[in-house]
Amino acid sequence: MSESLIRELRAAKPAARPELRERVQALATAEPARRPFLDRFEWRRLVLVAAPATVVVALVAAGVIGLTRDDLSGGGQQAASGVTTTALTEQARKADDSSAATIAPSAPEDSAATIPFSNAPPGGSVAPDPGRVQRYQAELQLRVENLNELSRATQRAQRIAASLGGNVSSLSYDAPRGGIGSANILLRIPVERVQTAMTQLSQLGTILGQRFGIEDLQPAVDDLSIQVEQSQRRIARLRKQLENTKLADEERAVLQSRLASERQRLTELRSGLKATRAEGRYATIALTLTTEKIEAVVPGGDSKLEGIKDVLVWEGIVALYALVVAGPIVLLGVLIWLALRLRRRREETRLLAQT
Amino acid sequence: MTISARRQQPVQHPAWSASFAATAEEHLDDVYAYLVYFTRDRTLAEDLAADTFEKALRQWGRFDARRASARTWLCQIARTTALDWFRAEDRRRRREERSAPAERVEEAFADGLSPDLEAALASLSAAEREIVALRILLELDGEETARVLGISPTNVSTRLSRALEKMTAKLEGKVSADV
Repeated sequence: MSESLIRELRAAKPAARPELRERVQALATAEPARRPFLDRFEWRRLVLVAAPATVVVALVAAGVIGLTRDDLSGGGQQAASGVTTTALTEQARKADDSSAATIAPSAPEDSAATIPFSNAPPGGSVAPDPGRVQRYQAELQLRVENLNELSRATQRAQRIAASLGGNVSSLSYDAPRGGIGSANILLRIPVERVQTAMTQLSQLGTILGQRFGIEDLQPAVDDLSIQVEQSQRRIARLRKQLENTKLADEERAVLQSRLASERQRLTELRSGLKATRAEGRYATIALTLTTEKIEAVVPGGDSKLEGIKDVLVWEGIVALYALVVAGPIVLLGVLIWLALRLRRRREETRLLAQT
Repeated sequence: MTISARRQQPVQHPAWSASFAATAEEHLDDVYAYLVYFTRDRTLAEDLAADTFEKALRQWGRFDARRASARTWLCQIARTTALDWFRAEDRRRRREERSAPAERVEEAFADGLSPDLEAALASLSAAEREIVALRILLELDGEETARVLGISPTNVSTRLSRALEKMTAKLEGKVSADV
């Protein structure tokens, strides 16, 4: 197309009539109020602001929750240690159950206040209250350099228990040739020496993890003591009744039978009381020694970071879940939108070709 | 009072409103010319231009000069307004054509065009006329035109060359027939 024709087209460019100018001018002067902020806010801008804001909120929430929640940092410590603490706990529980089985069955379960297991700083522990009967449990996970060290540490642990007046309740030693060795030792140590034991045992290797728990047995002891006293009073009453010479033979036989069963019950109660008190005299320490190269857990900063990491992982899981649930819906919406757009575009092309 | 008269006596509006008045004044002819080419109907183009500026005023708060020039933005609104009208007209025409076929009013694009050029323009479809209007009459560049039409700049070039070829063929055919 020649330049002259283009010039001709441009020279003959249609211009708006004055009437139209006035119409448009009237529109411009009919000044509407500026729309509220929310009306002017475009969704695209909202997404641009909301997306980074959500990330910031998620990070801040993870930081706050991770730093303030102790149980999360504990969980991280457990995970980081890589040692089956649950198994250790089970081991300790089994040992306790075997001794607790001797406690009188009438002792109410909820009367024993239980302090849950908690993490302690390496080499440190919480002392039991000497004024109360308490079940003290501790778990100590240590790493030793090699199999020779494992053997030596196992023997030393047994000697420490013996020197403190305790004993080895169970011991399992696993040291395959050329492999990673480990030893699980369940020690019973007098409670008044448990801190000494923990200190000495923690020097056998590098601490990977340490937990302790105290269960208050005093309510059970008090309850058993009351039952013993009641039983003694019943026996005394039965004896007094049997002293009566005017009793019929049948009546006497019944009272004697009652007396015998009450004596039996008293024996069991005393035995249970004795066992419970004995339980409170000894602490259970589940010691795990391993040659496996696992990073030692330093409480404080690292565990806090673990807590933050845990929260972030959970946030990620929630986000992934939301994505999985909402993804197909969003995809369907996008496909519908694209289909409508395509249809509109085709209709538009048809319309413009006709006109 | 005309817009040019307002230039001497500015009305006290907020900055955004004054800016809209100035923008309307600056681009009214462009929008109108585009609509005349697009619709081939001057009266309709006037109505659509008024509608365009009415819509533009409502959307003025959302106008972002960083994303597109005011002229491109106004042409986009004008195109949407015209397309809406075309759709409504198409529906109406279909209804009415069942009873009686509608008569199309053929109008001159502008005063001062040679009859041959007028005929060549008339041979184009609306899609071709709008691209000629945007690229030649309004002198928008490829990017701006692509933004108005919602297509790629390459597609703009292709469509424009086809439209021009068609016009040239029409003009040459006319010339050879006259000879």
